[in-house]
Amino acid sequence: MGENVKVVRDATCTFCGCVCDDMHLTVDLDHKRITKAENACILGKAWFREHAIEERPLALIGGRPATTEAAVEAAAQILARARFPLIYGLSDTTCEAQRVAVAIADMIGGTVDTTTSVCHGPSGIAFEGVGESTASLGEIKNRADLVVFWGGNPAEAHPRLFSRYSVTPKGMFIPNGRKDRTVVLVDVRRTPSTPAADIFIQVKPRSDFEVLWALRALVRGRRVDPSIERRTGVSLTVLEDLVARMKSCRFGVFLFGMGLTMNRGRHFNSGALLALTTDLNEFTHWVAKPVRGHGNVTGADNVVSWQTGFPFGVNFSRGYPRFNPGEFTSVDLLTRGEADAALIIASDPADNFPKAAIEHLRRIPVITLDPKATPTTQLAQVAFTTATYGINVSGTVYRMDDVPITLRPAFESPYPSDEQVLTAIRDRVRALLGGNRLPAGAPVAAAS
Amino acid sequence: MSLTLTLRTAPTVPLEADVLSPDRLSGVSALEAAKLTVVHGNQRADLGEFFQVVGAADGELHLTGDLAQVKQIGTGMAQGRIVVHGSVGMHLGAGMTGGEIVVEGDAGDWVGPDMSGGRIVVKGNAGHMLGSARRGSPIGMRGGEIVVFGNAGNEAGNGMRRGLIAIGGDAGDFAGVNMLAGTIVVLGRLGWRAGAGMRRGSIISMHPAELLPTFTYACDYAPEFLRVCLRRVRGLGLTIADSHVNGRYQRWCGDGIELNRGEVLILASPGTASRS
Amino acid sequence: MGSPLRIVNGRVYDPANGVNGAVQDVCVRDGKIVADVPPDAKRIDAAGMVVMPGGIDIHCHIAGPKVNLARKVQPETHRDDVQLRTRLTRSGTGGTVPSTFATGYRYAALGYTTAMEAAVTPLGARHTLEEFQDTPVLDKGFFVLVGNNLLLYRLLQEGRREELRHALAWWLKVTKGYAPKLVNPGGDEMWKGGRNANITSLDDKIGSFDLTPRRVIAAFIEAGNELGLPHPVHIHCNNLGHSGNVETTLETMRLAEGRRAHIAHIQFHSYGAAAGKSQSNPTSRARDIIEYINTHPNISADVGAVMFGPATIMTGDAPLAYMLRRFGSNKWVNADTENESGCGIVPFKYQDRVYTNALQWAIGLELLLLSEDPWRMVFSTDHPNGGSFMSYPRLIRLLMDRRYRKEQMAHVNQKALDQSALRDCQEREYSLSEIAIITRAGPARLLGLTDKGHLGVGADADLTIYEEDEDKEKMFSAPRYVIKDGELIIEDHELRADHQGRLLHVAPDYDPQIEQVIEPFFEDFYTIRFANYPVDDRYVPKGQIIPTTPSAAAAPATAGTRP
Repeated sequence: MGENVKVVRDATCTFCGCVCDDMHLTVDLDHKRITKAENACILGKAWFREHAIEERPLALIGGRPATTEAAVEAAAQILARARFPLIYGLSDTTCEAQRVAVAIADMIGGTVDTTTSVCHGPSGIAFEGVGESTASLGEIKNRADLVVFWGGNPAEAHPRLFSRYSVTPKGMFIPNGRKDRTVVLVDVRRTPSTPAADIFIQVKPRSDFEVLWALRALVRGRRVDPSIERRTGVSLTVLEDLVARMKSCRFGVFLFGMGLTMNRGRHFNSGALLALTTDLNEFTHWVAKPVRGHGNVTGADNVVSWQTGFPFGVNFSRGYPRFNPGEFTSVDLLTRGEADAALIIASDPADNFPKAAIEHLRRIPVITLDPKATPTTQLAQVAFTTATYGINVSGTVYRMDDVPITLRPAFESPYPSDEQVLTAIRDRVRALLGGNRLPAGAPVAAAS
Repeated sequence: MSLTLTLRTAPTVPLEADVLSPDRLSGVSALEAAKLTVVHGNQRADLGEFFQVVGAADGELHLTGDLAQVKQIGTGMAQGRIVVHGSVGMHLGAGMTGGEIVVEGDAGDWVGPDMSGGRIVVKGNAGHMLGSARRGSPIGMRGGEIVVFGNAGNEAGNGMRRGLIAIGGDAGDFAGVNMLAGTIVVLGRLGWRAGAGMRRGSIISMHPAELLPTFTYACDYAPEFLRVCLRRVRGLGLTIADSHVNGRYQRWCGDGIELNRGEVLILASPGTASRS
Repeated sequence: MGSPLRIVNGRVYDPANGVNGAVQDVCVRDGKIVADVPPDAKRIDAAGMVVMPGGIDIHCHIAGPKVNLARKVQPETHRDDVQLRTRLTRSGTGGTVPSTFATGYRYAALGYTTAMEAAVTPLGARHTLEEFQDTPVLDKGFFVLVGNNLLLYRLLQEGRREELRHALAWWLKVTKGYAPKLVNPGGDEMWKGGRNANITSLDDKIGSFDLTPRRVIAAFIEAGNELGLPHPVHIHCNNLGHSGNVETTLETMRLAEGRRAHIAHIQFHSYGAAAGKSQSNPTSRARDIIEYINTHPNISADVGAVMFGPATIMTGDAPLAYMLRRFGSNKWVNADTENESGCGIVPFKYQDRVYTNALQWAIGLELLLLSEDPWRMVFSTDHPNGGSFMSYPRLIRLLMDRRYRKEQMAHVNQKALDQSALRDCQEREYSLSEIAIITRAGPARLLGLTDKGHLGVGADADLTIYEEDEDKEKMFSAPRYVIKDGELIIEDHELRADHQGRLLHVAPDYDPQIEQVIEPFFEDFYTIRFANYPVDDRYVPKGQIIPTTPSAAAAPATAGTRP
C-alpha cells in the first residue's frame, strides 16, 4: 500500500436498502482502492473492496471505443427518433441522476421505469389500495418489542438489518436490546435467518395470503376454520398465539421481503400484510416496512413519485404521466416487443429479465450507463462507462425507510457520473427536438 | 352501410385509437374518418395511415385485422356497435356507458374498466383486470355486461359495483376481489382466492373451488335469482346445461373479514332437465 | 430578470404602503421594485386590471416525505387531472396533491409567488429541499417539526432552558428551515410510545416524560421569541377537530403571555360542544377566538378554511389521521420518524350535507368575516387538509360577494348553520384591499419577509395582475400577468417561462458546544450519523437567509456553558 492514504468517515454503503451511513473507509489513493471498510457487513465489504477503476473506454458505440461526446450524440439521436422509448433501471444511482432521467422521459414522451417493478412493485401497488403504517428504522431500534420478519432472509441479504436496526440494538425504550424483544420469522423454509428468531413459523409455499387473511380475521374477532392448517401448514393454535402476542405488544413491526411480493398473489400478499398492520392499530402500535434491495431504489420511487405522481412504470407518450403496471412496466413492454429503444441506467436486465424480454433488447437500439461491463452493456448500441455512486461520486440516496442521505465518495474516477452523462444527453435531445416534444393527442377521456 | 376499417399497416409501437367509438364517428364519412387523429407511440398520426376506411358511419363500426396492439377502442362509448374481426388490445370499452362491442378474437388486459353500461362480448380469451377498478380506486364496474367465451386472467371484477360478468372458460386468481356488489358467473374453474375482500355480490361457479378460510358454508339451495341470471347468461351466447340452470348450489358467505354479505355459489348437484 | 418593466394604468393594491386602488405606475428592474425605469422599458398596460404583490401562502403542504406519500397513495386522483407538458414546461398530475412541477405552475397560475411548506421532519429536510428544486417559480420555505422531539424533551424536563434554545437554533439552521413547528405537542409521542394514545388536555403527562404539553408549548414560545426568529413558533394545537376544543386553543394562546405565537388553521380549533345529549356535536366558538385575538396583538393565525369537495388530510398529527380514517376513504398512511415526529394521511371529502363539514365551512368564513384585524387572521385552507389551493378563488368570492355566499349557505346542512354565527356576519364583504392583506401583505408581515407582500421600492418584484371582474372567483382564477423576480412568468394567462424560486431560511446563532450535547444523543438513539444529518448548501442552489434578531437573553453564550 502506498503512502497516500485517506480516511473517509461516515460514508454510506449503497449495496442494499439498509444504506448504512456509518462506514469508515480507508482509501489507498495511489491505487484507487478501498482497503478497509469499518462497520461494513460482508456484502458491504465486498462492495467497497471490489470497486477499482478499470481500464475501459469512456464509451463504446457499436462495440468500438468512442469519446463520451460522440456517444452523447449517438444516444441523443436514438432517443429523439424513438416512438416508444423505455428508460429503465435507476436503482443504483443518485437522485440527481434519477431526476434527469425522468426529465428525459418526459421530454421525449417515453416510459420511465425502475427496478421497483421487478421487486417491491407489488408492495407499491398494494400501498395504493390500502395505504401503509410505517416507521423509520430508528423507531424499530428504539421501541419495537415484537419484530416479525416475513418472506425474507436478512441474514444473507441485509445482514445489518438485524444488528444495526431491528433485533440486537439497544434503544431508548428497549434498554436491553435483544432481550427486550420477541422475534418471529415466517417463511416457507429454514434459512440462515431462522436462528435469529424466537418463533419460526413455516408456511406452505404460496399460502402466505391465506395465513395473513386468517390472521386478519382473528385480529378482528372473526371465525377461522381449523382447515387452515391443511391449506397453509400453520395450525389455528399457532395463529391464535401469534395474534395474542401481536395485540399485546407495545410496538410491533413487520419487515417483509420478496417472499411475499414475488409469490403467487404478489400485490395482494403485500396488501394483506399492510391491511393486517392497519387492523392491529386498533389494539396497539404497529408498523410495516418492505425491505428494499438496491441502494437507491427508494430514491427512485421518491423521485419518480414527486415528479409525476406515480412511483414507477410511468408513460409520457401523450404528454402527461400515466401509470399502469402490466402496461407500462419494463418486463411487459419488452416481452411484448413494444419498446423501440431503451436507455438503461445502472441496471442489468439482460442478466435477469425473462428470455423474451432479453431477446427484444437485442433487437432494438440500447443505450447503457454502467461502471462495469455486463450482459446488458454488451448488447448495447451505445455504452457509457460511468463512475460509481457512493464510491466515486456524491449525491443523494434514500434508505429503505425514506431517510435521505448524502454520499461521501472515497476516490475520484476518470469516468463521468451518471448525472453528467444524462444531463449532456438531455441537453442534446432538447436541441434536436427544439424543446420538449409536444403532447401527442388530447388526454384520454376521463371516465364518466 | 357501416364504417369498415381494415388494418393495412401494422403499428410498430402501441397505437391508441380512442377515436374509434361510434359516438365520435357519428356522421363522419370514410374520407373524414381517415384524417382523424390516433396516437402512435409518442406521435400523432392519421387513422388512415394504418387503416383502410370504407363506408359511412351509421352507428356501426367494423374493424378487421390483428389489432392486438391497438388500445383504447370504444372509449367512452354511449351507443352503437363495434365489431372487431380479430383480436384487440388493452382498455377496450373504457368508461363505456352504452352500446355493444363484439370481439371475434382475444382481448387484452383491462377490458371495460370504469364501465357503467352497455355490453362487451369477447369470443376468445380476455386478459387480466376484466371489468376492473383502476389502480388505487376502490370502485370498478358500475353497470353493464361483459361476456367472455374463453378464459379470463386475474382480478376479473375487481371492485365491481354493479353489472354482470360472465366467463365461459376459466377465471384467474382473485376473481371478484374487493367486490361491492354485482354478479360474476364462471362456467369453467375459479382460480385461487376468489372473492377476497368482497363486501356484497355473487360469484357463481360450476366447478368446485377452494375458498379462503374466511368464507363459511351456509347451505345448499337453488335460488330463483340464479336461474334468472343463468338464463340471461345463456341468452348472451354461453352454453349452460339445463341441469346447471336448475341445479343446487352450495352457498358460501364471505368475505368474513369484511361485511360478509357476499356469496360464492358452487354447483353442488345438477338438477333435472327442463323446467321453465 | 434584468430587463426593466413599467406597469401602467393598473389599480394598485399595496396595503402595506397605504395604496388602496390608486392608478399608478409600478416599475421593475433587476428583480426589484424601483422608483423609475427608462422610457424605453417594456410596458404592460394594466388598464381595467388590478395590480397586487404576488400571493403568499403561509401554510400549505406541498413538498417532502409526507407529501410524497400522499401523492403515491392516490394514483386514481392523478388520472383525471393531468398537466400537459409544453415546449418549455414539464408535465405532471394533479388532484389534491399534485406532482411538484404541477404544484409550482398551478400556484403561479393563481398568482402566488411564495409558499411555506408547513411541516417537515428534520430527518426529511433534504427530501423537502429536493422537491423544492423541482417546484418551479415559487419562493419557498418550511417549518421544522420540533414539538415531539425527544432530545428537546429531555433538555426541557431537566430544566436546561438555554441548551434547549441553542438546540432549537441548531435544528433550524442545519435543516435550513424557516420556523419552529409544533403539531399536537406530546400527541405524537403518546401515539408511538403509548400504544396509540393521544393527548387530550394541556396537562396530560407525555408518556414517560415528566412533561406536559403546557410546559412544552410555553418553553418553545419562549425560546422562539428569544431567538428573534422572523416568524414565531407556529402551533397546531392539541385536540384538533374535537368538540369543545376552543378551550384548549384559548389556553394555548394564553401560554404566549404577550410573546409572539402563530396558531395554525385555527378554524379546526374553534369548536364548542353542543349542550346535553349531543355533546359530541361541535358548535362554533369563532367569536371567542376572534375576541381573544383582537385583544392580544401578539397572536396571529391562519384560518384553515374548509371548502367542499375532495381534500387530503396530511398532518403531523398522526393520531388525528387515524381517527379520521373512518370518515375518509378506505386508505390510511402513517409514518413515524425516530425521535422527532410522525405523520398521518387520509384521502378525504368535505360534503355540504354533512353536519360537521358544513359547520367547518361556516366557521372558516365566520372567522374571516368577524375578524377585525386582517393582518393577523390570514388566509389558508391548510392545503390540502381543508381543500386544495385551487379552491382559493372560490373562497375569495365567498368573502367578497355576500349574495353568492348567501346562495351557497342555502345548500349546506342548515342545522350546522344554526350552530354557527355565519348568518350574523353575512353583510360583510371583503374589499380588494382586505383580500390583498390576507393573501399577501399580512402573511409577509407575519413571516417577517420585509421584501415581500408589498410594492414599495426595494421589494422583490413579485406581482400579480388580475383583470377586474364582477365574478371574483373568475377574477382570481386566472391572472393576466404574473411576475416573479421581475420576470414575466405568466403573460396573457399563459406560462411563458420556467423559473426557479429561492429557498427562504434562517440561520440563527447557537453555542457550538450544544453539538456535544446533541451528538451523543445521535449515537444512542438515531440510526443516521450525526455528521450526516445537517443539510449542506448543494441542496440550496438559490437561497436567501432571513435574518434573526435575538433578544439580549439569547445573545450567543461565550464561556461557562457545559455539555
